[in-house]
Amino acid sequence: MNEVTVFIMGKGYRVPAGLTIMKAMEYAGYRLTRGCGCRGGYCGACATVYRLKGDYRLYADLACQTPVQDGMYIAQLPFTPAERPPYVLDELKPEGATLLALFPELARCVACNTCTKACPQKLEVMDAVQASLRGDIRQVAELTFDCVSCGLCTMRCPAEISHHHVWQLARRLNGAYLTPRAEHVQARVAEIAAGKFNGELDRLVRMTRDELVAAYKARQIEA
Amino acid sequence: MKRLAYFPGCAMKDQARADEAGTLHALALLGYEIAEIPRWNCCGTVYSLAQDDLMRHVGPVRNLVRVQGMGERRVLTLCAMCYGTLARSARFVQDPERLQRINAFMDTEDDFRGGIEVVHLLTLLRDEVGYEKLAARVKRSLDGLRIATYYGCVLLRPREFAVDDPDRPEVMERVVEALGGTPVAFPERTECCGAYLTVGRKDIVEERVERILRSARGGGADVVVTTCPLCQFNLAERRLPQAPSVPVLYLGQVLGWALGAEEPAIADLLAGRPGASEPVCSGGAR
Amino acid sequence: MGTYPKEMQESIERVEATRPARLAAQPARLTLPEQEALLQGFHPDHRAEGKRKLRVGPSWGDPVPHELADLLEAYPLLDPGAVDVTKPDCDVDVLVVGGGGAGTVAALWAHRSGIPAERILIATKLRHGDSNSIMAQGGIQAADKPHDSPAIHYLDVLGGGHFTNDPRLVRALVEDAPEIIRWHEDLGVMYDKAPDGTMSTIHGGGTSRKRMHSAKDYTGLEILRVLRDEARSRGIPVLEFSPAVELLTDAHNQVVGAVLWNLETSEYTVVKAKATVLATGGWGRLHIQGFPTTNHYGATADGLVLAYRAGAKLRDLDAVQYHPTGAAYPDQLVGLLITEKVRGLDAQPLNRLGELFVHPLEPRDVESAAFIRECAPPEKGGRGLGVTTPTGMIGVWLDTPMVDMIHGKGTFQRALSSIYRMYVRFDIDPTKEPILVYPTLHYQNGGVVIDEHGWTGIAGLYAAGEVEGGVHGKNRLMGNSLLDYNVFGRRAGIAAAGWAKKAAPASPTLAHVERYVGELKAAGVPPTRRAPLLLPEYRGERALARMVDLL
Repeated sequence: MNEVTVFIMGKGYRVPAGLTIMKAMEYAGYRLTRGCGCRGGYCGACATVYRLKGDYRLYADLACQTPVQDGMYIAQLPFTPAERPPYVLDELKPEGATLLALFPELARCVACNTCTKACPQKLEVMDAVQASLRGDIRQVAELTFDCVSCGLCTMRCPAEISHHHVWQLARRLNGAYLTPRAEHVQARVAEIAAGKFNGELDRLVRMTRDELVAAYKARQIEA
Repeated sequence: MKRLAYFPGCAMKDQARADEAGTLHALALLGYEIAEIPRWNCCGTVYSLAQDDLMRHVGPVRNLVRVQGMGERRVLTLCAMCYGTLARSARFVQDPERLQRINAFMDTEDDFRGGIEVVHLLTLLRDEVGYEKLAARVKRSLDGLRIATYYGCVLLRPREFAVDDPDRPEVMERVVEALGGTPVAFPERTECCGAYLTVGRKDIVEERVERILRSARGGGADVVVTTCPLCQFNLAERRLPQAPSVPVLYLGQVLGWALGAEEPAIADLLAGRPGASEPVCSGGAR
Repeated sequence: MGTYPKEMQESIERVEATRPARLAAQPARLTLPEQEALLQGFHPDHRAEGKRKLRVGPSWGDPVPHELADLLEAYPLLDPGAVDVTKPDCDVDVLVVGGGGAGTVAALWAHRSGIPAERILIATKLRHGDSNSIMAQGGIQAADKPHDSPAIHYLDVLGGGHFTNDPRLVRALVEDAPEIIRWHEDLGVMYDKAPDGTMSTIHGGGTSRKRMHSAKDYTGLEILRVLRDEARSRGIPVLEFSPAVELLTDAHNQVVGAVLWNLETSEYTVVKAKATVLATGGWGRLHIQGFPTTNHYGATADGLVLAYRAGAKLRDLDAVQYHPTGAAYPDQLVGLLITEKVRGLDAQPLNRLGELFVHPLEPRDVESAAFIRECAPPEKGGRGLGVTTPTGMIGVWLDTPMVDMIHGKGTFQRALSSIYRMYVRFDIDPTKEPILVYPTLHYQNGGVVIDEHGWTGIAGLYAAGEVEGGVHGKNRLMGNSLLDYNVFGRRAGIAAAGWAKKAAPASPTLAHVERYVGELKAAGVPPTRRAPLLLPEYRGERALARMVDLL
């Protein structure tokens, strides 16, 4: 088997090439509790920083999505202290000033772009901070939709911004206030409340298996 | 059409939208193709610009890198604050050692090569368009509207980046004249409005705003015009009850209206004088 | 690009050669008898050696996979001598076990039903939100378009489940669905919509109407993070890294709380509760029949074990859902979910010769069986037309470039951004090259028996989400799991709040566990087996990618 050497928190292990950082840690004998979640790149639990031999850069990525490289120095950052100010969505207005009022530290951004470099999802994080600064909620929501709240940008930010909490609020404001509601959903909810489908459902619930099979086969399938 | 890279800055996309709308309308009529910089960030005006703090110049220089990436040699700003900040950073990295250090730090961007000129709307109108050509394009004269031209500080200070003679500026007056307005005598036109003290020391700003507005009203102004969103905010929102109720507008609103853009705030002003009751303080169009 | 090895590249050329003809044609669906034959022949559920009949407990005699039977027929993890359950550390009205989708929804609705936030506790094994709910990509079903109806949705659900579902539960599912979508809109979920607010909806496997609502291909993440944020806004307490290891019962065999285990400090926490909602999710990490899984690290069937010991009945646990499209190449991605939305957007499954061998949107079990038949060698009745990777994994193509060809350039990156990101990391561009897939263990179709209020039949115990059974019968359709956890999380939360308001004071015991241990001994269960599992074991060689034992 083709092997590489990785240093998990400074301690060296030989592991098979091609493993992800997460699997390499397990192969080395770690039983993960923190720093492991969905194992598929969605939950942000396995934020990890690493350096490579001969390279000054501090890289940041998700352990479950990143293959090991020979000579990699690895440390996990399974938790990010971050302040989420208390708010209730119904009491907020979808205005530019809302984000800055709840997260005044946004104004400390110096556009150093370290957040963007740290993002494992390759989002334009700094652009989202800047959009937050000028109160463009919709743009913040769109730029950060794929954020998995791993906290890596937050840990690297010299302005000490709690990014994922800002993004969460922006997306909710966008979804609840800046996007038109689906009228057909409201209409269907009203129809159900008025009992429009009760007769048909009562009949279906009482059907025998054969009757159900027949009804199922007779369905028209929308093209 | 002459292509011109444009840095809007945050205020132009929020409280100063009317300034941007009027200005862009006017510039199109004056033959400019305005190309907004892709992915710009805050100019950096909220940062300290201390000469020994490289980090604080990263934001402004990044905007200049984007201009360079567009293949342009200069960039236009409307906001007095953005102008001052970008111009200072452009000058700051003329020093080769600083330029090298900032490029080494911004290792994900193309190296900045320097040589980007930062242009303010006023200097563009004066030096490239010219007052005569501007006057020739006027569709609706300001009809003698008495205008107090408020410079504030950052258009004129520090001296190296001043858009005009810091002691005897005249560019804004000449523009107003070209549009058919009448600049009024306004001794406090270059005094500071109090700027960011508006956050922690409202009282100081209120005192200054009252003095500035009295000076404008003393010259008989119908309206105060500025190019700075922070000045606009302070002059409009930090007024004590006894301060004169002169409306405050952006230069872009006046410019745009004269060149044919819709701008109800000015139409109202012109309709309301003379002899009509004193104009209500509008706080600027939003 | 062109990062596929040479042999795979040759097969891709055949895929490209057949593409123009496939773009022009409409694939045909299977008849019910054809579906049945495929399932009998090739679905892993039909391998008798994969299961055994339970020898203890309320569902005695029911067949379940060995991996689950080993946990149900196992001794407690909890050391009774180390904990005094008569002295609770914490006393609440509603305890929610599990902080994924179902648990969060249950807590929110218990709160809305009048239980103060500080009288609710969410206890969860990992972090709040760590769950399969967050990983769901494709969408959520709701019959809210004018040409659709809850009755049509009802029929689709029942047909998908081969008519084995509990009709009362299906009715609740389809009737509540539009209300759930409306609630999500109130909370600020960013669903994919047309500019006028109309929901963008597409087909899922086995649906007769386009009723799949989505939020790009992060639908589960988007819904769950909004719910979690709302729970934070309401101040609902959450205890993380504290899985339940046993329920508590009183002298009347009512459930009155749970014992939690702090994974980090190795201490017990005894929580007394008037009502308990079990929302512990599913079983993917048991790797039934050796399959890789799409599931979250914590999906170890803990809730089934706890509820079973307390006397809850289980159902349909002989039916395992294998998602047809798990990634099969490269090795690092093996088992990860490729959302059904990819096929909903018209990508077709193809064999080594570039031939379409099954309609892209059959119900999941049928689609999976078809993939397995295509790959299985002829001596085992298969067609032997799978694509083999350099490490010996096998799969069929999913012709992803068709998405942009049919729906316009940029669709894939916009609508399937997580899948796109996942492959581009490994230099495969799914808008230009097909991707290789094979069925992967995805969902626990069955679970704890409940009524339409999420009640398990045991006083004080409710269940919601993947841990419960009956809603989907023996096969769940895409988009009904997110719906399930919302509908039954809400119903269980409301019912638990109602019960908590009237429940009499109780004295917690572990009497049910003692009784169960007696049964285990009587049945001769080896004393080495312990449960719940809490976390899968991946140390050492087990960390290497799992190879599927093909038919």
